[in-house]
Amino acid sequence: MTTREFGDIELRRVREHVWEIPQEGEMNAPARVLASEALLEQIGQDKTLEQLRNATHLPGITNHAICMPDGHQGYGFPVGGVGATDATDGCISPGAVGYDINCGVRMMTTNLTYEDLKGKEAELVDALFEAIPSGLGGGGVVTGDAETIDDILARGMEWALDAGYATEDDLAHCEDEGSRDDARPEYVSQKAKDRGRNQIGSLGSGNHFLEVQRVTDVYREDVAESFGLEADQIVVLIHCGSRGLGHQTCTDYLRRIEKEHADLLEELPDKELAAAPARSQLAEEYYGAMCAAINFAWVNRQLVMHRTREVFADVFDRDWRDMEMRLLYDVAHNIAKKEVHTVDGEDRELYVHRKGATRAFPAGRPELPPAYADVGQPVIIPGSMGAGSYILRGGESSLDLTFGSTAHGAGRLMSRTQAKQEYWGETVQEELREQQKIFVKAQSGATVAEEAPGVYKDVDEVVRVSDELGIGDKVVRTFPVCNIKG
Amino acid sequence: MCYTLREHTADVAVEAHGSTLGNVFAAVADGLTAAMCDELAETGDRFSFSVRAESREALLFDYLDQLIYERDVRGVLPAAHEATVRQTDDEWIVDASARGIPFADVDARDVKAVTYSEMRLEETGNGWEAYVVFDV
Repeated sequence: MTTREFGDIELRRVREHVWEIPQEGEMNAPARVLASEALLEQIGQDKTLEQLRNATHLPGITNHAICMPDGHQGYGFPVGGVGATDATDGCISPGAVGYDINCGVRMMTTNLTYEDLKGKEAELVDALFEAIPSGLGGGGVVTGDAETIDDILARGMEWALDAGYATEDDLAHCEDEGSRDDARPEYVSQKAKDRGRNQIGSLGSGNHFLEVQRVTDVYREDVAESFGLEADQIVVLIHCGSRGLGHQTCTDYLRRIEKEHADLLEELPDKELAAAPARSQLAEEYYGAMCAAINFAWVNRQLVMHRTREVFADVFDRDWRDMEMRLLYDVAHNIAKKEVHTVDGEDRELYVHRKGATRAFPAGRPELPPAYADVGQPVIIPGSMGAGSYILRGGESSLDLTFGSTAHGAGRLMSRTQAKQEYWGETVQEELREQQKIFVKAQSGATVAEEAPGVYKDVDEVVRVSDELGIGDKVVRTFPVCNIKG
Repeated sequence: MCYTLREHTADVAVEAHGSTLGNVFAAVADGLTAAMCDELAETGDRFSFSVRAESREALLFDYLDQLIYERDVRGVLPAAHEATVRQTDDEWIVDASARGIPFADVDARDVKAVTYSEMRLEETGNGWEAYVVFDV
């Protein structure tokens, strides 16, 4: 049996790309890492494996705590982590969702080709940067009063539709049609609502971005056709989350768990894993508040997409409908959802925590929008701003291996501090433009340095592992044309 | 009182020292400001606030969380932090102030939240030492 050791953690190779940390001591389940040898070597360099092992201490954790191929160290629960806990006897963990609730990506397709865009890149990147709120204090597309915030939290993209920022087709192509029925705005604190009111329709900063891309490779023609994708097509990828409202919601509930469920917290090896027992009042309130923050994030991305349509209409002097700017799909990276999965032959309701991981349901799951029921759910995997991104579809093996999940991106390799020592923002921008024809505009040079292509893992390798394991099948590859960052 | 930004794969960590609890709190807050902005402006007015919590560590967490909240609702980057910490019978209290630099005057980036991950707050021979990871 092949084994690998990282510190005091020994992993056994179960099969190609599947490594297991056996259950021992206080662990409630074994842990699994889905990685090639090369990716495992990177994953083993920081505290990812320790955090993954800690995650197995969550009550009711089912099968395994799982690390995706892009996994890296976070706080508490690793980024790239999936943990399914029993929704009756287990727990729900705000720490295993993370602060940026429903941080995620959406992709919009167009009928433009790269030829249509060539020569307009500088104009387009400037116009997008000007029109889309980003950075700290950049405001939002709309400013919400108390009633508006509550409406957004309760209804998500249904609010956006009524307010004229979305179409019926947008809702039909969003997970849950852009609205969580379980949302309970009354469980979101006033403090969180205060932080959200000026940020509705904004990118934020850090690794959040908007990128215009072109499709460069098509791997599965039939699925690509179902997704409305073809070679040389221009698409737009938007990456942001629930902004301060979501961050505050997570913070509020971590602190309440500390006060109201200290006994459970003491059993966990890291306070950032803080969890509320399933069926407790606090678990119900957190779930309702988290679902409301999920709605807020969907509206946030919808408003950014709406503004993008307006910018394209200006730059190309055409109605955006004539450019067929349609939502392909919107996927969450940080979320916990009640889902029914078959475990040991029995259907069980679980809280599936995905932190830096994407739901990747195959064809046939009832949750899929009708448009994708026969081919599987689109999965969007962004690379760095100098590398390609991928569109996958949920793989047939995802339900068995990962509770229907796959990776969420390339995964960071280098700290921001080190990145700023090794890269100079203006130089990175110049090189991307001159060598790869990628136009980048950001609020600061430091942000560009922190997000330089070299600080990320090899997205090609992450997607190769996902594809070979059958948890997310690669459909097309895209390459950046314009990128704006907060 | 001083702080250092420490390496962290995904986020930013601050290690800070201070002769008193108040000083180490303010030093961590200065590190939080540095994580958001490389060059500060001299503009902005001071604002004050107080936070109460059940323990020293919880107080540090809530103090930093309040600063992030003040940043978002006031639309300023809090800087030049001052803090004093006291204890009553059943709770800890920090009385703090910061200079709120208007966002228009700085190139600042977001820090999403304070975390408990790897948090340390310890008394040493020379005062107090703290280590805090921030989610970016």
